[in-house]
Amino acid sequence: MDDDVSNPMRRMSSRTRKVASKMTAALQSSDNRTQAALARLEALENDNAGLEMVEANDDDEASLDDDDQVYIQKKHSKGTKRKTRQAKALEARKAPRTFLELVHEANLDSLPPHVPSYLKAAVGPPSSTSRRHFCTVCGSAANYTCVRCGVRFCSSRCQNIHNDTRCLKFVA
Amino acid sequence: MHQNVVVLDNGGGLIKAGLGGERDPSAIIPNCVYRPLASKKWVHPSPNEPMDLTSAAVRRPIDRGYLINPDLQREIWANLFSSLLRVNPAQSSLLLTEPLFTLPSIQRATDELVFEDFNFSSFYVAHSPSLAHLYEASQRTFKAQCSLVVDCGFSFTHAVPVFQNFPINYAAKRIDLGGKALTNYLKELVSYRSVNVMDETFLIDDVKEKLCFVSLDVARDLQIAKKQGNAFRCTYVLPDGVTHTKGFVKNPEEAQRYLALGDGDTLEEVQQKMDVDQMEVTNKLEDRKKIDLTKNEFDLTNERFLVPEMIFHPADLGMNQAGLAECIVRAVSSCHPHLQPVLYENIILTGGSTLFPRLSDRLEKELRPLVPDDYQVNITPQQDPILGVWRGGSLLASSPDFEAMRVTKAEYEELGSARCRRRFC
Ligand SMILES: [Zn+2]
Ligand SMILES: [Zn+2]
Repeated sequence: MDDDVSNPMRRMSSRTRKVASKMTAALQSSDNRTQAALARLEALENDNAGLEMVEANDDDEASLDDDDQVYIQKKHSKGTKRKTRQAKALEARKAPRTFLELVHEANLDSLPPHVPSYLKAAVGPPSSTSRRHFCTVCGSAANYTCVRCGVRFCSSRCQNIHNDTRCLKFVA
Repeated sequence: MHQNVVVLDNGGGLIKAGLGGERDPSAIIPNCVYRPLASKKWVHPSPNEPMDLTSAAVRRPIDRGYLINPDLQREIWANLFSSLLRVNPAQSSLLLTEPLFTLPSIQRATDELVFEDFNFSSFYVAHSPSLAHLYEASQRTFKAQCSLVVDCGFSFTHAVPVFQNFPINYAAKRIDLGGKALTNYLKELVSYRSVNVMDETFLIDDVKEKLCFVSLDVARDLQIAKKQGNAFRCTYVLPDGVTHTKGFVKNPEEAQRYLALGDGDTLEEVQQKMDVDQMEVTNKLEDRKKIDLTKNEFDLTNERFLVPEMIFHPADLGMNQAGLAECIVRAVSSCHPHLQPVLYENIILTGGSTLFPRLSDRLEKELRPLVPDDYQVNITPQQDPILGVWRGGSLLASSPDFEAMRVTKAEYEELGSARCRRRFC
């Protein structure tokens, strides 16, 4: 009990968190780094980012309650072994589609070119493509790239921290 | 018969709702249900009861600004109408905001909610940029009939020219970044550098609102941020669940120090200004280390400005999209040349994510070189960018024109969704 009071973070993040293995694999090949970058952008729109990073492995002590699994199941089809097919069908019907799925269904590409649409309103690429890079460890301007995972760092100090604790990991 | 008009600005982050004709909405609640850490039940946020949002999971009916879960929205609205607004929809009219480019399937689902689930007697759909324009026009002798509304909210950022109260939608431009992504980005940074806050949406929202600001010179400020005890460093205290269920800024004065930095100050000048502070801070450094060990708090430095920075440079996040200044230029350039100087002269900033201190200054700094020299650039941040759109809606709802603009339930039943919708374009 005492422990809980002195360490609020224990209370806050009791859920286990593992590096998504797919992400790790993706990061190792530079071709897949683009994929990983897209996945990360997608994650910026997630509501329960922490929850969704959890991989519900069987041999790992599952820290999610059933409710969580139902929720996560909408996006990942993992950890649903115990559910009957009927229950799954029910959930599939109830699960709202994402906005991007709805956009896809709306078939906006088929609109005549002069009709404004969600897709055409996107601002488009920047005129100058120079991307600035910030050190993932400390936030300073970063001139170096990790050869293993492609993440940026600014100095040998930050490189060491990166190698020791973060390389190939997505979530601390 | 005079009827209530419920004005509902249905944001992806916040619902602003109240009766037309009033100055401010009577209910402002998050547009979500949440589940507290120790609970199995999803509950409605209530403005009247204390909420422990620590590690709460959240479900939202809106994704990227658009209504994707009408069932959940129905629950949230039902609670809103009955417990908070105490209105009877069947005897009320509804003025609802909806983002530009809402898909027909979503419009249909919205109409069903309004007329079939809630039985509103009549309905009008308004666009946020028009309402922001309408409100600003009412506030001053605003000669121009058009403005360029920058709506930077929870889900996305729009730059929309408005002409005679209608959005020019073929010229509207969108950046896929809003407050939600910025909060999630801040979560990432803090989790990576200090403590894991990936489950703490509500907490990090608070951190962002209280501590983030826009830098006027990122390269310089990154240099400053490298120094120990620099002007940006400040401490946020995490909730302990016992004495406080909400986090807070440890020393609000410390958090304001950056305001002493002038736009044109060089690194040396900054150094001099900050020397005094530095002494104090060095003395406190030992204390700070001790506290750090208990992990009850974390420090922020360059995160404070690197987060809002993404609105100006989404490319830094790996997004292939132009930043805010270019977004505005592209929206204006899509309009008739006669309109362009007038639009630059009347830029209105609305939406919660325009609240970052110095956003308007930075925008002007970036925009000026992109605009022809003989055009004026004039940026007006709304006085209350979270409520501005609602207030415009309230004005519209109480105007004599409103009655003719709305669609009645009988018309909906006779004509169907698609034909009624043409009235709102
Ligand atoms: Zn670094
Ligand atoms: Zn690495």
